[in-house]
Amino acid sequence: MRDSTRALAEWIAAGGRQIGEVLIEAGDAGFELRHYADRARDDLVLHERADAARAIATFDEAGRFRPLKTAPNLRRGWRLRLGSLSELREALDHLYPAMIGVWLSHQRGELQAVDLRETLARQTGMYRVTQKITDSQADELIGRFCRSEDGCLKHILWRIDTDRPVTTLPPDKLRPAVAGGFLPLLCHEACNLLVAQAREVVKKCEAKP
Amino acid sequence: MFSAKPESALVVVGHGSTVNPDSSAPTLDHVQELRRRGVFGEVHAAFWKEEPSLRQVPYLVDCDEIYVVPNFISEGYFTRTVIPRELELEGAVTSRGPRKIHYCEPVGSHPRMTELLLRRAAEIAPGVPPEETSLLIVGHGTSLNDNSAVAAKREVERIAAQGRYAEVFNAYMEEEPLIAKWDEFTTRPNVVVVPFFIADGLHSYEDIPVLLGIAETSAGAASASEQEVFRGNPYSRRGRTLFYASAIGTEPLFADLILEQVTAFDAAHREPALA
Ligand code: SF4
Repeated sequence: MRDSTRALAEWIAAGGRQIGEVLIEAGDAGFELRHYADRARDDLVLHERADAARAIATFDEAGRFRPLKTAPNLRRGWRLRLGSLSELREALDHLYPAMIGVWLSHQRGELQAVDLRETLARQTGMYRVTQKITDSQADELIGRFCRSEDGCLKHILWRIDTDRPVTTLPPDKLRPAVAGGFLPLLCHEACNLLVAQAREVVKKCEAKP
Repeated sequence: MFSAKPESALVVVGHGSTVNPDSSAPTLDHVQELRRRGVFGEVHAAFWKEEPSLRQVPYLVDCDEIYVVPNFISEGYFTRTVIPRELELEGAVTSRGPRKIHYCEPVGSHPRMTELLLRRAAEIAPGVPPEETSLLIVGHGTSLNDNSAVAAKREVERIAAQGRYAEVFNAYMEEEPLIAKWDEFTTRPNVVVVPFFIADGLHSYEDIPVLLGIAETSAGAASASEQEVFRGNPYSRRGRTLFYASAIGTEPLFADLILEQVTAFDAAHREPALA
């Protein structure tokens, strides 16, 4: 059986320091997490329970709900001190759900990317209509919705279709990050938020005379 | 007592929402509680509209043996179509390489749901004699593509059969019997209202309270501050004493029902012993 928590420990031991917007500092007494932009601040509010990460990840700075935890809008002003590896794991599962497991699967060559066409072809009910989106509409939408600046920090591993890659995002966004010390956030298949946006695009098109 | 499964993973599936955290909150609470109990090797939440997503489940889990319990109030479109499709299930048991996925019944289908509803009704109206009380179980209407109305009716029948409450009714927001007319079909001095929903949200914070006449329509979206409505109990309205509970899915005992659905699954799918 694989052990993703141990893989996390090994990644930290090998110099791993950042996941998404979160810095991880390993010390004798455990771990301390904070927003990377708060690295030099000394006026941060201290939390000492792993489940504090859930509240931190729920709302952005302006109090808006964050349905997508990999959006680059994690709030600042906190630090989280954790005594054990299992608490670190729990906190990271709140801050970046599924990302450790997905990363480990990728490391082990088990992560299967699913192209957007396949994702849309599977939809039923209110999302079935997304199958009508054209490749270029999809490309434009992805470029706008998934971009790292204000959309999502994940790296996209899928294409629009087998022979149709995404062209509206920089090449870096379309391969797993390799920068030392970073645990990459990986998108192996379009999320429900993007599918819902595809529905909006199709609906808007159909509404036009 | 639940016999621990340290070699297995438990995945509790919720609907989730892109608009507010209320929908996923009870599922995350139950997961946190079940992790604390340490009865599974790992416990995860997964959602249709939030993260972790259903499509991330195969990569999220370490264990080869996985139990999936839908945190839904009834069987329906999500438990029969969306979850099996997104998890690529082949039936109650799916074998894929070394993996075995056990797909359990939704929490709301558990026979002990009746007990939870009665418990919540008693908690919200302490010391109020059931024989002088009308109990209302509020469900989504039948318009939704699921069987939640059927499930709500089943619960009302079971509670009525026990004969503890003077009377028990189903009520709905948009179809008869209408929750807005609660005082017309109930006859007792006390009225207890329990929403048969998996999570609190706009319906339980605002829509139902407005229909009951215990809250005003707010301009913005409902938020956690609307928990206020549960603190105002009891309400004196239309000549009765009204007690209003939060959604049944916020009941901490849901964690036990999740485990019991696993036990029930094992009992129903036990491999025949070798002769
Ligand atoms: S589709 Fe992937 S990259 Fe795009 S917003 Fe969703 S999770 Fe992020």
